[in-house]
Amino acid sequence: MGWRIRGAALAAAALGLLATTAFAQEDRGPVEVYIPYTQFTLANGLNVIVHEDRSLPVASVNLWYHVGSKNEKPGRTGFAHLFEHIMFEGSAHVPEGDFDNLLEAAGGVNNGSTGNDRTNYWENIPANALELALWLEADRLGFLLETMTQEKLDLQRDVVKNERRQGVDNQPYGNAFETVYENLYPADHPYHWPVIGSMDDLSAATLDDVKAFFRTYYAPNNASLSIAGDVSLSRVRALVGKYFADIPSGPPIPTVDVPDATLAADRPVVLEDAVQLPRLYVAWHAPKVFTDEDAALDVLASVLTEGKSSRLYKRLVYDEQIAQDVSAFQDGQELAGTFWIIATAKPDVGLERIATAIREELDRVVSGGVAAAERERAVNGVETDFVRSLERVGGFGGKADRLNEYHFLAGTPGWARKDLDRYRRVTEGGLADVARRWLAGVPAVWLSVVPEGRPELAASAAGTEGEVRP
Amino acid sequence: MMASWTALSLAGCASVAYTSSDPGEGTPASITVGPGGSPSGRGRTGTDRTTVPTVGAPESMEMPEIQDYELDNGLRVVLVERHALPLVSLELQFRGGASAHEPRLAGLASLTADMLDEGTSTRSALQIGDAVDLLGASLSSTAGYDASQLRLLVLRTHFEAALDIVADVVVHPTFPEAELERLRRERLARVIQRSDVPAALADDAFAEVLYGDGHPYGVSLLGTKESLESLTRDEVVAFHHARCAPGQGALIVAGDVTREALDSMLTRAFSGWTGRGQDPPAPPGHVAAAQRTIYLVDKPGATQSEVRVGRVAADRRTDAYYSLAVANTVLGGSFTSRLNSKLREEKGYTYGAGSYFDLRRFPGPFQASAAVATPVTDSAVAEFVQEIDRMHEEAVPAPELDRARNYLALRLPQRFESLDDVVGRLSELVLYGVPLDFYSGYVAGVEAVDARETLAVASEYLRTSGMAIVIAGDRASIEEPLRALGLGPVVVLEPRAPSQAGG
Repeated sequence: MGWRIRGAALAAAALGLLATTAFAQEDRGPVEVYIPYTQFTLANGLNVIVHEDRSLPVASVNLWYHVGSKNEKPGRTGFAHLFEHIMFEGSAHVPEGDFDNLLEAAGGVNNGSTGNDRTNYWENIPANALELALWLEADRLGFLLETMTQEKLDLQRDVVKNERRQGVDNQPYGNAFETVYENLYPADHPYHWPVIGSMDDLSAATLDDVKAFFRTYYAPNNASLSIAGDVSLSRVRALVGKYFADIPSGPPIPTVDVPDATLAADRPVVLEDAVQLPRLYVAWHAPKVFTDEDAALDVLASVLTEGKSSRLYKRLVYDEQIAQDVSAFQDGQELAGTFWIIATAKPDVGLERIATAIREELDRVVSGGVAAAERERAVNGVETDFVRSLERVGGFGGKADRLNEYHFLAGTPGWARKDLDRYRRVTEGGLADVARRWLAGVPAVWLSVVPEGRPELAASAAGTEGEVRP
Repeated sequence: MMASWTALSLAGCASVAYTSSDPGEGTPASITVGPGGSPSGRGRTGTDRTTVPTVGAPESMEMPEIQDYELDNGLRVVLVERHALPLVSLELQFRGGASAHEPRLAGLASLTADMLDEGTSTRSALQIGDAVDLLGASLSSTAGYDASQLRLLVLRTHFEAALDIVADVVVHPTFPEAELERLRRERLARVIQRSDVPAALADDAFAEVLYGDGHPYGVSLLGTKESLESLTRDEVVAFHHARCAPGQGALIVAGDVTREALDSMLTRAFSGWTGRGQDPPAPPGHVAAAQRTIYLVDKPGATQSEVRVGRVAADRRTDAYYSLAVANTVLGGSFTSRLNSKLREEKGYTYGAGSYFDLRRFPGPFQASAAVATPVTDSAVAEFVQEIDRMHEEAVPAPELDRARNYLALRLPQRFESLDDVVGRLSELVLYGVPLDFYSGYVAGVEAVDARETLAVASEYLRTSGMAIVIAGDRASIEEPLRALGLGPVVVLEPRAPSQAGG
């Protein structure tokens, strides 16, 4: 599809959180990043962030709700995301279909996404359509249920089931991520189940669930509105007051508290799939988002798999040529983080060889350390990405979105500089430290996805009994 | 040459079709709040939510000027200076791409592009990679149907050093045999991987059905098992020599660099690089429109069917550019388009449906597509056919046409937000020989399209009687229902990719 598809259910692992935002640079000096902003709170608890950028006549309205699949109940997995879809289907003063009709007629595009921790919505618009976007967002925050129907729920349930088919069931390796999560996190941990949910749970969702979920989580006191682009602060204040101030607060939001999850021993898992090349997914428990160790593991991921001379790429793909590809990433989230290494084997290569190489290379980071040049290459790439992310005011990862992310997950929208500083503080010794503390010899899920009928290609994982799943 | 592209005015746009009569637009609301403060009036404030806020006239967008000139060696340079962020984005393009080699050499253009950073007379593959990474730059090279393209994004402070690497890989590549063999094996495995992906099966079959394997647009850019096993280093070297010459190239740059600085860097980095190269070959013969036929690619057990409906349509320089753009926006080019509204929002058959005209140097495909649930495959195909044909059967109603025109015209500034956006827009104009002031007339061009014109282009290009319908899905479930539709013959395609990995 050459255009937007809304309602992306972001698997936690799909969120490579390279942080970012605004900026200034002394010639040849270090890059400075910041996104200037004004923040205020309405009496109903709505947090508002405004960033003026007059370089083009465009603006973005971005609204985060602090609710995601982590807030779901057993038997209703996938509900936060299904609810996100329903948010586009009209509200008391916006007939079904007009949310999109009005925005497109004004030259706007919009989208939303759901993750484990949060749900976000945005409209990228010509600056003159600011009031329209705010009116639309306010109406679905304040007046969604007045026109909610069983038909809307049923229709979007079908759409979401197709989203699951397209992204999971009908994709090679499509079940891998959710299989890893269900093995890495215990059943009572909210990262145990996938954001997209199960087909059975999607089928079970009722209109009462929609109403209860809305009343619990979709309240101004659980939301943050970020507006960036060619706007004036005074006009934003006026319009936000006009459309949002009289929407009542909701009750306090239930908190989700879970103990840190751990694995007692390596957990090998085998999945047979309609694929021809075996692929290994290794996942460890890792630090939460925006911690220093989260940044260090992000850098370590680059040292392992970014660039031809990165440790694992060079060994597996370039020198030995037993892997087709290899990637690593740190996925820090609100309640916990996960560190991933994923490698696809060449035809007929057993995954045990790749697993062995991964163990050896992690051990080598711990015992032999990391060279200054390796660290420097990785951090320089991060700096460029920071500057690059200041180019757009809207969309996923644009400045409005980033301000909201910092607000919710770092405690202040003005965290860009501190975010980049986390990376600059990473030392060679720190990289060896996080490898030792979180990865090398630490129990992990070792998922082998192998062609149907070829279980002998799976990795065994060190000294533990294999568990074969259908 | 100096194209005038400043002050791109959006003022000619019709205002939004959905306007209200609310006279209060522009009047500040009575409630204001301060940081940490509270609104001056709480509770129900009497805000009128029943009328849609008026959207005023759009603002003009100021575009920087485009500097368009030639270096002494014949290389065209197109520069847009933008100094807001200390970044530079660059593309070095060479005309030709996969259209410039015989179709039987499938994969040659993209393999040659991949080989550029695998070794030069002074740097090994690993040294090139390390040097690029140390600069925090991203460098990639690819080949499409009509051009080979090398792209760079880098901080301003490292631009000159990165440009040296770009020049090195383009002017002095050595195409080491060992690296070529590594990439050959990697591609052969990618061909296998591709055959596991239902969408890729449908895309490849669609291209082959439309163009045949004697046309460059009909064969895989990646290459096939047969072609990849037989491509030689000599062919790679010869292709590079013919294509990657300044006389075939253009350099498009946007970002924090001045003309003066750029010229001095280019002169140094590309010193001694000359050559006319070979002009890309003449267009292949006309491809006849097909009789409506359903082609099936079996993907046993698939829970969705990947559907592609289309035909060979227009090239990038078509006179009907704006009419095609507006017609496609109505049909499948936006979220509220007919295909998405029908197949997703009304029927729930899919996560998303859309369409586009892929305008290339020679007539490219029109394609409508969706991944639909297996049990509704026949119903979905029937809806595709009905919605596509409706475009030529009846005129588009005024509100729908207004919305489509505004969606295209008013979104224009958003399409120039990043440096890569600017380079991408200009790259297309340069490649297809479109005047660089194209976007100065874009809004007027879109707004001038009327229902008669969309009907005319639909009549020419959007009749399903001349279209192929390609479906990758579970044959056992979908074949009989598809035959029962009576839309045309059903042909089952044999998979061309290897069905089993290795030996």
